Amino acid sequence: MYAKKGYELVKEFASGEKGQLQPFNEDLVNQVIDQCAQHYLELQGLIRKMQGENVDVRETRNADHHGALIHHLALIRNKRCLMAYVYNRAEIIRNLAWKVGLELLELPEEIQEKISHSEKNYYGKHSAALQSYMADVGIDLNVDMVPPKDPYIKVRVLDDMGEGILLSDKTANLARHSMHFLKRTDAEQYIARGLMEELTG
Amino acid sequence: MATGSGEESTSAIMDDYETLISTTDVELLKRAWRNEKAAPEILQYESSLVQRIKEQIELAEQNVEMFEADSIDPLTVSLYQMDLDRTQFLLRSYLRVRLQKIEEYLFHILKTDEYLNRLSKQEQMFARRCTDDLGNHLDETVLSKLPDNYQSILKQSITSEEDDMVPVPRLDTFIICKAKQYLSSIDFEPEYSTEITEMERDLLTFVCYKFIKRPLEKGKIDLV
Repeated sequence: MYAKKGYELVKEFASGEKGQLQPFNEDLVNQVIDQCAQHYLELQGLIRKMQGENVDVRETRNADHHGALIHHLALIRNKRCLMAYVYNRAEIIRNLAWKVGLELLELPEEIQEKISHSEKNYYGKHSAALQSYMADVGIDLNVDMVPPKDPYIKVRVLDDMGEGILLSDKTANLARHSMHFLKRTDAEQYIARGLMEELTG
Repeated sequence: MATGSGEESTSAIMDDYETLISTTDVELLKRAWRNEKAAPEILQYESSLVQRIKEQIELAEQNVEMFEADSIDPLTVSLYQMDLDRTQFLLRSYLRVRLQKIEEYLFHILKTDEYLNRLSKQEQMFARRCTDDLGNHLDETVLSKLPDNYQSILKQSITSEEDDMVPVPRLDTFIICKAKQYLSSIDFEPEYSTEITEMERDLLTFVCYKFIKRPLEKGKIDLV
């Protein structure tokens, strides 16, 4: 069946957990792209055949015309599937840029394995675009993600972060498993990176 | 009688108080933020409001620092700090929601002047950069590998007359809103006159977004 591969591609994306990336399926993407080329060849073949038979390509409605139309539509469907796949992945990658990208220049390894080279570039460029916007308006947008209740929160450090880390109002020794009472704006960036957790209740 | 007039005067004072409160910049920002969050499309950027809020935040930051230096009661300082934090959250969230909308409807915004004009200068720059980046990415991954006539990012193929590959905000989604004043049929777009004719003041209404788009732009309705 025509355009089935494209459908598989979209299905693979849709069946994944929301907001989570699956490994970039380069193999299938290339197969769909090859199919597009194939459709195009057949499409051109049919049009040439019609021209060879001296029939008006625009007006005639014979078997060749409908054959060509089906190839055209299959090609478009494949294109839409490919674009949907890449575009929706790009959306997740943008979200990553919001969440981790601005602090961490490199993505964690388990994500790096799942994205294509071009996606990695895109991620980097998007983070840079966000950063330059923030520099322009002079406001950090990646802190304060949830409405503040209290200016200070209790956190526990989950990973060794070294000594003498400079916070806005003091320097702290953030040793693993130690608990601190920090300004929320200071702690949020570390929480986003999984280096701290907020203690509630 | 006496008690009656007393109640009236307190309610009048309350009304005054409420109008006073509702015109502070923070309250205006809160309204802009709520509208922006609830609306499916991007709204006009509140440039002078954002400017004023930024100045006020700066002032409040200086105040807090001064209080700390003067060793005023820490509780008082932390109350000021909290107020400041909340305002900052509002501002950040407002700008954030807008950027996320820009990301979502990039191509549509860039090719529609009406939308492009609603963005701040920085947002426009951001949108252009994003479009280039996303365009390059899509090109590299898919489009450049497709046959010649199918490489457009906005159209399915060169035979399409319109841009039929562009995600567009859905203006026919339903939203909850509240009119700030009584709205009659002249406040709505004539083309929806069969759908909606009037709206009571302060009444919560569940309605299709495109019907109330015009009074919203005029500031006669708040989204909730």
